[in-house]
Amino acid sequence: MKRILRRLIASILLVWAVFTLTFFLSRMAPGSPFQGERKLPPEIMQTLLAYYHLDRPLPVQYWEVLKKTASGDLGSSFKNPGVSVSEVIGRALPVSMVLGGTAFLESIVLALCLGLWMARSGEPAAGLLRTLSSVWVALPSFLLAALLIEVFSVKLGIFPPALWTGWSSVVLPSLAMSIAPAGYLARIFATSLSETFRSPFFQAARGRGISHWRLLSAHGILPSLNAVVSILGPISASFLTGSFVVESLFAIPGIGRVFVLSVMNRDYPMIMGTTLVYTGFLVGMTLVGDAIGEWIDPRVRSL
Amino acid sequence: MRSITPARIRKTFGIGGILFFLFLVVFAILPGQLTGLDPVRQDTRLVLAAPGTPGHPLGCDFLGRDNLSRLVSGSGVSLLIGLSVGVLSTVLGAFWGLLSGYAGGTFDTVLMRLLEVWYALPELLIATILMLVLGHGIVSVVVALSIGGWMGVARVVRAETLKIREQAYLEAARSLGATPLRLLLKHFVPNLLPVLFVLLLFRIPGGILGESTLSFLGLGLSPPASSWGTLVNEGWKALPLTPWILAFPAIMIILALLAFQWAGEESGIR
Repeated sequence: MKRILRRLIASILLVWAVFTLTFFLSRMAPGSPFQGERKLPPEIMQTLLAYYHLDRPLPVQYWEVLKKTASGDLGSSFKNPGVSVSEVIGRALPVSMVLGGTAFLESIVLALCLGLWMARSGEPAAGLLRTLSSVWVALPSFLLAALLIEVFSVKLGIFPPALWTGWSSVVLPSLAMSIAPAGYLARIFATSLSETFRSPFFQAARGRGISHWRLLSAHGILPSLNAVVSILGPISASFLTGSFVVESLFAIPGIGRVFVLSVMNRDYPMIMGTTLVYTGFLVGMTLVGDAIGEWIDPRVRSL
Repeated sequence: MRSITPARIRKTFGIGGILFFLFLVVFAILPGQLTGLDPVRQDTRLVLAAPGTPGHPLGCDFLGRDNLSRLVSGSGVSLLIGLSVGVLSTVLGAFWGLLSGYAGGTFDTVLMRLLEVWYALPELLIATILMLVLGHGIVSVVVALSIGGWMGVARVVRAETLKIREQAYLEAARSLGATPLRLLLKHFVPNLLPVLFVLLLFRIPGGILGESTLSFLGLGLSPPASSWGTLVNEGWKALPLTPWILAFPAIMIILALLAFQWAGEESGIR
């Protein structure tokens, strides 16, 4: 209980640190969100800056924004006045959750199958699979996306190449996002499995003559899962960066695309909002990963 | 006779690949008159010419520029960025890790807590926000990606430093009255070098991939410059018509990533 509390406090501090960093970095950036194609007269510029409190000293601004953010108000977009940041995020987040969630499940299933296959095959085949999996990991998501679109949309016409129009448009982007993390997870799972196979408790279980299936699942796979679960937090970071690229590629109105666009537009409140959502998500995933780890593997609890 | 194993193939490929890419960098740096490559000359009659066109073995792009020339100069830029990011982030991480591990105590704790904050964020998120501050350009990309990705190095270096601290030769040197500076330069740094080299090999592909992703998104290098990222971006836009424009830089990226990754994996650690 005490440990959970400590973790929680550390997480809140982390979110605050990210807030502070993002705030000062984005204010340090040259150029202003109101610099457009047309030069604005200085009076209008002054009014705009005053309206958004951008003319105040930086520490005052920081305190104001921090107070507002802490009470859950992310402000409104600079680029599209009147549109609140929470509104945009509220619309984009479900899309990204569906996409990311699907990609996540796909990569876990793929990783478990591939890892099991790698760990159970003999030396020449295992080395070949390892080589293959590193090629797999090296495939950048944009190349994979291009390949998938070329084959499944342009040539075969099965799945739509872009936009968000129902379930068929989840397939290609989620695959593009899940392949590389799956390769990475599979390697870790395979290493952990082969360690388990050599361990005394596994040999003892085999010696007792329990059924093949039970031996593999309860004595082989379950104790090896912890290695996979413990990196779920860091791995979700790769889904996150995957989402920048893949959502931009497939023109999917998710949070990754919102983030990239708001960086291009220097839309401070939007950048802050999306960064905070990302950080919250990462922190949450790490906590969940650790909790699952404790739940499936009692060895972790005693540490 | 030594047998051919997948591990040996990976090592050979890795080292061969790195040599090939160093050769490409030299080729890209040499002036156009020597190599006969000109990545900016346009020939409007040859817009989107197919590979195999006389004088243009890889065809031309949407402005009629020679694909081969752009690929070579782009490879030079991308590899230089990858190498610089590798070196800079390894040095940053080594400095942080060495300081933390050598000092120990409260100082170590503070540095490690700061590191955890930074480590919780994905490299690309940090780099993207930094690109806001730094503006477009090669130097900005290098700085942004290095600041985004030195944390892993710092962790490993700190762990190695702690190991070295426990060694008998260090105790001997200290009891002989060696100054802290001498200890650092004569004992810690030389013993860290092999680890640093492997870490460098792992950081370079990270830099290459980071650059190509940033430029691909339009956040890295801007159009007149060519790099693997901008070339992939251009190829992506012309994908249904001329898939080979995407394929050339794509193949180069995969080869480069594999070369460095395999060279790193087979040269020790992991």
